[in-house]
Amino acid sequence: MAVDFEPKILAFCCNWCTYTGADLAGQSRMKYPENVRVVRVPCSGRVNPQFILRAFRRGADGVLVCGCHPGDCHYATGNYFTRRRFMLMRELLEFNGVDPGRFHARWISGSEAAKFRDTVSEVTRTVKALGPNERFQEASGEES
Amino acid sequence: MTNGQKQQLIRDRAAALLADGAVSCIVGWRQTRFAGKTAVCFVRAPEDATLLVWNEYTIPLTAKYLADERWTGGKAGILARGCDSKAINRLLRDNQLEREKLYIVGLPCEGKADERCRPCRQKTPLVYDELLWEEDSAADGGGTSAADADAPGRGRFFRADEVSALGIDARYDYWEDVYARCIRCYACRNACPVCSCRECYVDMHRAGFQSKRQNAADNRVFGVTRAFHVGDRCIECGECERVCPMGLPILGQTQKVIQTAEALAGAPYEAGLNAEDENFLGKFDLDDKDAFM
Repeated sequence: MAVDFEPKILAFCCNWCTYTGADLAGQSRMKYPENVRVVRVPCSGRVNPQFILRAFRRGADGVLVCGCHPGDCHYATGNYFTRRRFMLMRELLEFNGVDPGRFHARWISGSEAAKFRDTVSEVTRTVKALGPNERFQEASGEES
Repeated sequence: MTNGQKQQLIRDRAAALLADGAVSCIVGWRQTRFAGKTAVCFVRAPEDATLLVWNEYTIPLTAKYLADERWTGGKAGILARGCDSKAINRLLRDNQLEREKLYIVGLPCEGKADERCRPCRQKTPLVYDELLWEEDSAADGGGTSAADADAPGRGRFFRADEVSALGIDARYDYWEDVYARCIRCYACRNACPVCSCRECYVDMHRAGFQSKRQNAADNRVFGVTRAFHVGDRCIECGECERVCPMGLPILGQTQKVIQTAEALAGAPYEAGLNAEDENFLGKFDLDDKDAFM
């Protein structure tokens, strides 16, 4: 199982920075693991902590939230709220028994294609080592 | 002063306020059919003021009832202890109550017959129009003494500390046990003084924010979402736990949020101390802690 296990990773990418960065990674023909599923959001501030819980509940093995660097937000302050929210959420997830390796957040700008590639590779490696996520799942594994 | 004397003071004052028309109702506590259980009641006539009680079991928060009732009958008198005053502050901050329509009768409280009152540091109400008696600093009816606060498992975050002491797998099992027993009655939501949305996401069954299924995993999603939603505004009254029909120790979740907020801000944090302060997640600092670089 561990050898063949390919994790499902959900990445919430801000439209103005990280999504553009991911696009640039593609245009630059950079290779990164195909385990990541990108969800484009208008701002990392759009990411409700419940999205993370729902992702784990619906079968994600890892979640990544990406946005503009602090100070670079298209909406001026969105990512400052994101930072506070997910610094807190990270602790709360750990308190609830979710391995900290399953939840990541990164600031990636539109020109940092290499950082996007490296981040996705690193997250994939971490989640792969942790194995399939069984937390926030029913024992029977049924769909919600 | 004994509880009996205080109760008489409350009844007399309530009757006087109702009689001279200063308020159109008094929100207080009455005895239920069960020994050791009181319930919040609305007294509307001076002669009914004898219904009001004050003893070690007058535990429920009065403030939330006023928000739920959407009291429109003029100025409402409300009996408020320290915890009620923090709840009133929160409800005022969230525009759920109007200060001009409240007459707050402050009742300094020495703690009730409830372990969740033990860490309470707010014996005298923070906001009131009159105080019926002064705080008796000598009395210790369950509040935390200085030595007690440092004892393991007896401090402000006693529930969260209990869980934090476990390893990550044991923590998961702890909550698995809690949420496997949860019946999702939403009593914790209804009793919470900061949970004041008129339309709650858990009731929007078509939107699909929250699965209606009754299992540990979906209950857990509800529990963590609720904790995150109210955690930074939590006034630490413990109503969520007290009303839980399954007796689940859910206060740990919100305590953890407050504990983390304090750690991230590097400063003491407490909600409901006044009616102006923005809650932790509703604001930011340019130099907030950042692990996402």
